[in-house]
Amino acid sequence: MSSKTSFIGAVEIGTSKVTVLIGEYTGREIVIIGCGECPSRGVIKGSVVDYRAATECTHSALEIAERDANERIDCVYLAQTGGHLEGFYNEASLNVKAADNMIELGDIRTVCDLAKAKELPLGRMVVHNIRRPFRVDGRLVPTSPENLVGQKLEVGYWTVHGQEQRLADNIHVIRGFNLEVRELVLSSLASGHMVTSLEERQNGVLAIDIGAGTTDYVLYRNGAPHTTGVVAVGGGHFTNDISIGLRLTEGQAEKLKLRFGRATVQSRDKNEKVWLDGNFSIGDRQFSRQAIESITSARAWELLEVVKKKLGHSFSPESCAGGVVLTGGGAKLPALAECASNVFGTCARLGEAPSWVNENVRDPGFHTALGILYYGVSVQSDRAASARRKGGFLHNVARLFAST
Amino acid sequence: MSNDTHILPETRSWRDIPQQVRPRAMSGEGRRRMAMGGVRVAIGAAVIAGVAWGAWGITAVLRDNPSAMPEAAKTDRVRSLVLVTDGVLDKVWLAKTLSIPPDSTLMGLDLNQLRLKVLSDSQVASAAIARNFPDALTVRISERSPVARMMAQADGAAPKMLLVSRDGVAFAGTGFDPAMVETLPWIDGIKITRVGTSLAPIEGMKAVSDLLASAKLEAENLYRTWQVISLARLSADGEIEIHTRDGMKIIFGTKEDYLRQIARLDLLVDASSDPTRPLREVNLALGAQVPVSYGKAAPMLDGQPASALNASSTRPQIVFPSISKPQIGIHL
Repeated sequence: MSSKTSFIGAVEIGTSKVTVLIGEYTGREIVIIGCGECPSRGVIKGSVVDYRAATECTHSALEIAERDANERIDCVYLAQTGGHLEGFYNEASLNVKAADNMIELGDIRTVCDLAKAKELPLGRMVVHNIRRPFRVDGRLVPTSPENLVGQKLEVGYWTVHGQEQRLADNIHVIRGFNLEVRELVLSSLASGHMVTSLEERQNGVLAIDIGAGTTDYVLYRNGAPHTTGVVAVGGGHFTNDISIGLRLTEGQAEKLKLRFGRATVQSRDKNEKVWLDGNFSIGDRQFSRQAIESITSARAWELLEVVKKKLGHSFSPESCAGGVVLTGGGAKLPALAECASNVFGTCARLGEAPSWVNENVRDPGFHTALGILYYGVSVQSDRAASARRKGGFLHNVARLFAST
Repeated sequence: MSNDTHILPETRSWRDIPQQVRPRAMSGEGRRRMAMGGVRVAIGAAVIAGVAWGAWGITAVLRDNPSAMPEAAKTDRVRSLVLVTDGVLDKVWLAKTLSIPPDSTLMGLDLNQLRLKVLSDSQVASAAIARNFPDALTVRISERSPVARMMAQADGAAPKMLLVSRDGVAFAGTGFDPAMVETLPWIDGIKITRVGTSLAPIEGMKAVSDLLASAKLEAENLYRTWQVISLARLSADGEIEIHTRDGMKIIFGTKEDYLRQIARLDLLVDASSDPTRPLREVNLALGAQVPVSYGKAAPMLDGQPASALNASSTRPQIVFPSISKPQIGIHL
C-alpha cells in the first residue's frame, strides 16, 4: 500500500437514515471501499433530540462501514443540516496599498478578514464562510487577484452559522465513537457539488436536496456558491400530509406516497382507485389516486415555493441558466422536476451522481455523503499541495534550477 | 489610517466546540476504540524504547569490544591521562594510583580494574573512566571533602592523621592545604571497625557535620575555638561534646535546632566576658534552660592570662591507642 493512501470517512446523520461512506484516497483517485447505512433514531429535522438513540444508530452505521471497508478510520467529515442554520452576506472593500496599485497577498488577506468579521448573536457559531468572487475596480475576478492592478479590491462572504448546542450535539455523537470530526460540511454544498457540473455552476444553477426532515438548497453563480439555505420541510411532511388527509398511520401513508405520490396531478379521473396494500388482506382499503396526487403535489409545490421565496432576489431564471437540479431521497417523487420547472420558471432535472460512482451508492439518498467524501478529498489534496509548495530549501533550489 | 490596524470582532467557529466527551457518553465500541488507542500508544512507546535501548546496548558493546576496533586503535599506547575532578587530587596522584605500565595500549586496559584502583582511595566518592581515542584515558572523579580529622594508629605503625568526610568516611587527605587541615576540629569518642582494607564509616557524622557547618557559617569566631568534638554520648544521649582551645566544654543536643543552640552559646560567651570568671561548661542540650559552670581565672603573667601566653599548655593530652582487628578504638 502506498504511503500516500489515506482513508476518508463521510457521515450524514439524517432524519430518516444515517449514511457512512469510507473512501480510500490514493493521492490521485478515490475508491469507495465501505458503506454503512442505518435507520435514524433520535434525530428530528436534522437535529439530535435523543443523544443515546442517535448515538446507537450512528455508531452502528460506522461499524458496518468499517467492517465493509475492512479498515479503521480515525476522523470523519460530517454533514451539517437543520432548521437552525442561517446565512447572511457581508462584504468589504479595500484601497490597494501599493503605490503601483498592484494587489499583494496582504491586501487580499485583509479584505477577506474584514469581510468575514461580523459579530454573531449569542450562542451562534460559524459553520462555513463561503467566499464569492473578488472584484477589482468592479471587475469580477474568479480566482486570486494577487498581482493584478487596481485601486479598489472588494470581496463578499456568505456566512452560514448555526446554534452552538445543536452543532455540539452532532459532533459529540461522532466523538462518542472516538472519532475526530475533521470538518463540518453543509449538506447542501456537499450534495450540490455532486450533482452539478462545473459548467452549470459557472452559468448559475440551483441545487435542491430534499431529505426526510429538511430541504437544503444552494444557488451557484459564477462557479461559486452564492446563497445556501435550509427549509425545515422534507419528505416526512409529504407522508404526514397523506396520513392526516386520508386518516392513515404513518407507515401506511409512507407506503402510499412511495407507490402513488406525484409532484403534479396526473390522474384526471376522480373515481380511479388504488389499493392500500393490494394483497387482499383484511383491512386493505381503496383510495382515490387523484386525492393522493393532490396532497403530495400541493406539498411539493409549497415546498419549492418556500425555497424560491427564501432565495428572493438572488434567484432569477435569467441568472440561473443551469436550471434547477433536484436530489435527495425526496427528489424521487415522480414529476418533481416538472413541478420545480413550473415553480422556478426554468428547466429542472433530477441530479445524478458522476459516472465514477459505484452502482450501489448512486441513489439520490447517497449524494450528500458522496459530496462530503469529495469535499474530504479536496481538503486532503489541498493540504498535500500546500505541503509540496512549502517544500524545503533544497527543494526550492531544485525548482529554481528546473525553471531556468 | 493604515490598513494594518483593523480591530475585528471575534467570530466563533464550530471549531471552538471542544470535541472531548466523557467516557460515560461514549458507546461501548467508542470506549473500546479509545482503550485500543491507548494500548497502541503504549506499545508504540515500548517498541521505541526497546529499539533505543537495543541501539544503546549495541553501541556500548561495539565501543568496549576490542575485536570490533580497528588494528591501529588496538596498538595505540596510552600517551596522556586526563583527570577531571571537583576536588584537590592531581595527575601525580592519578598516575601513582593507576600505575599503568608504560607500554600499555588503550584497548589493553581493563577499565573496571582501573576504576576499582581509583575507588580504593577513600577520598574518591565516585569515578568513571573512559577511553578517548586515539591515546588518552579520561578519569572523572568526585571527591569527598573533610569536615573533621582524627588520628589513628595501626598495629605497630606510626600514628597517622586521617580526615573525615560528612558521610563518615575516613581518608588520608591527599593534596589538601595544611593550613586548611589545621582549622579542622579533632574527632573523639568513636569506635570504628575495619572492613577489608579500609575503615567502616563513622556513625553519627552527619549530625556532627550539620553542627560544624552551622557554626562555621553563623558563628565562625566560636567555631575557630573548637578543638575536639566527642561523639561518645551521641548515640546514647543524643549529645555532642565540644572542647575548646581554652578548656571550655560545650554540650550540644541533636534534637534541637543547632542554630538556636549556637545563638544561645554566642549570647552566653558575650555575656560572660569577665576574665576572672571564665566559662568552663555550657550544656545546650536541655532546651531553653542552659546550665553553665564557671571556673577560676588563670594566673596573670605580665597582665596576660597564662593560657594566652602558652596555648599549648591548655591543649588536651592526645594518646593514640594501637589498631587491632576487628575494632579500632581511637582516643584523643
